[in-house]
Amino acid sequence: MRRNLIFILMSIEIMLNGTGVAFVAAGSRWGQPDGQIMFLFILAMAAAEVSVGLALVLRLYHLHNNLDADAANEMRG
Amino acid sequence: MTSPYPIVAIAGILIVALSLAALLIWLERRLLALWQDRYGPNRVGPFGLLQVVADMIKIFAKEDWIPPFADKGVFVIAPAIIMVTVLLSFAVVPFSPGIIVVDLNIALLFFLGMSSLGVYSIVLAGWASDNKYSLLGGLRAAAQMISYEVFMSLSLMGVVLLAGSFSLSAIVEAQKRLWFVVPQFLGFLLFLIAGVAEARRSPFDLPEADSELVAGFHSEYSGMKFGMFFVGEYLGVILISSMITVLFFGGWLGPWLPPVVWFLIKMFAFICFFILLRASLPRLRFDQLMSWGWKVMLPLALLNLIVTGAVVVAWQ
Amino acid sequence: MEAAFYIAGIVAIVSTVLTISRLNAVHALLYLIVSLLAVAVAFYAMGAPLVAALEVIVYAGAIMVLFVFVVMMLNLGKRAAIAEGQWMQGSIWVGPVLLSAVLIAEVVYLILRARLPEIAVGVIDPKQVGLALYGPYLIGVELASMLLLGALVGACHLGRPVHEKTEARYDRNSDGARAHSGGNLIRAGIGRTPDAP
Repeated sequence: MRRNLIFILMSIEIMLNGTGVAFVAAGSRWGQPDGQIMFLFILAMAAAEVSVGLALVLRLYHLHNNLDADAANEMRG
Repeated sequence: MTSPYPIVAIAGILIVALSLAALLIWLERRLLALWQDRYGPNRVGPFGLLQVVADMIKIFAKEDWIPPFADKGVFVIAPAIIMVTVLLSFAVVPFSPGIIVVDLNIALLFFLGMSSLGVYSIVLAGWASDNKYSLLGGLRAAAQMISYEVFMSLSLMGVVLLAGSFSLSAIVEAQKRLWFVVPQFLGFLLFLIAGVAEARRSPFDLPEADSELVAGFHSEYSGMKFGMFFVGEYLGVILISSMITVLFFGGWLGPWLPPVVWFLIKMFAFICFFILLRASLPRLRFDQLMSWGWKVMLPLALLNLIVTGAVVVAWQ
Repeated sequence: MEAAFYIAGIVAIVSTVLTISRLNAVHALLYLIVSLLAVAVAFYAMGAPLVAALEVIVYAGAIMVLFVFVVMMLNLGKRAAIAEGQWMQGSIWVGPVLLSAVLIAEVVYLILRARLPEIAVGVIDPKQVGLALYGPYLIGVELASMLLLGALVGACHLGRPVHEKTEARYDRNSDGARAHSGGNLIRAGIGRTPDAP
């Protein structure tokens, strides 16, 4: 199991990149620019997600002194 | 536009770039000495020119030591990355019509991509050395490169707007009437500053600030691995100088002389300017560097882009 | 171009698998960067040069540098790799891997049986993408810019110097003083240590 927050964020990047590949491949299959535009939006979204995510990781690391995702369960909902 | 014999062009550009980089080591020491009122290397060969050869022999003969606490794989890869990325960038530089390895239609983006990959060399070298000074150097390099790359690309977009293309030879052709340094003077200044920071030259040489960090990211490197960082830095200076020439000073354009000669003259002038910068400016403090980048340069680059866009739209 | 596409695809898949199986975060990041570069080459082979360049500049050149920066700043070292190895144990992943292996085999079978379509129909140059982006998709650009602004504000907020009061509270939690205050917050602060109340 991966509990390391950094690895979790990296895996999200892999998945986002996978959807990007699908969009670009579909766009180039039909010769339309729309697929590439969706990829640009994914890119913007990934940049936003990573900046906030990594800031959170740094903050959590300062609080708990480890990167365990389960350590951040104080907000029991 | 692309050279008819690509292999010849590749070999030629490689040989010229690498020997120029080696020559620059000598040139920088001599010029620095001139500006600081001393002699510099003048013993080996005429004007000390063979000093470079002597240094090369020394560097090749040195023991190629990898510290036992280092992360071996990453430690070995890191110096190779900078050579690969810088030399790949030379593939899209149009030295003159016909002397270009590949005339990509996204050449400018290719250059930006390669220069952003070059950061990894420094960052990974700092991390793999497993030494606090190296790590600090690597951290500084990462922060500096991310900050300065943003407005480096933004400052170039004014040129792209005026030329209407990402292709470098099209950008040179578009400067037949007027060099872009005139309408894009702000963009030129921004790119010059970002270029100095990307090449990690003084006053932006914080990753290897030798008065505080030993030698920064390459403290643990010796022998040819250090040589690769060293040559890579000079190759970076040549690359940035040639990009300034291509983007703002009309590349190979000029009267009477053959195009290549014009290109080399302009490039050489900028290389000397880089060395003069090192001779005259003190190093910045790190927080000054970051706030300068984000609070002054980035808004200026955005302003430049907006004004250029408005003018281009109004002109049509 | 066909061959370049397939080679880049294989490189991307292999390096991604290596990414998710590494224990050392920096090694994983290196493989992820290789994977992104391979995807960029595949994009170029598919006739999408603009996106290929942006993949290198933004993904590999900026987002991944941020990751490396954070990993270096935490400076986890060998201890983290050992902890990661302990977490990675267990047979939880065997089932998913087997099932997805079956799916991959099916996909390979289907691809090999089907008539392969051409990879690159034609090159879509940056100009076309730009015209479409600032034409029908203008609202998307605005939304993306708002999202980025939100992320900027969020990251600045999270990255501000820690407030002294909160810091003091957590400091108290982490050294032995938690006995006399009890409650959920304290338990969560130390998380998974077995001696939590």
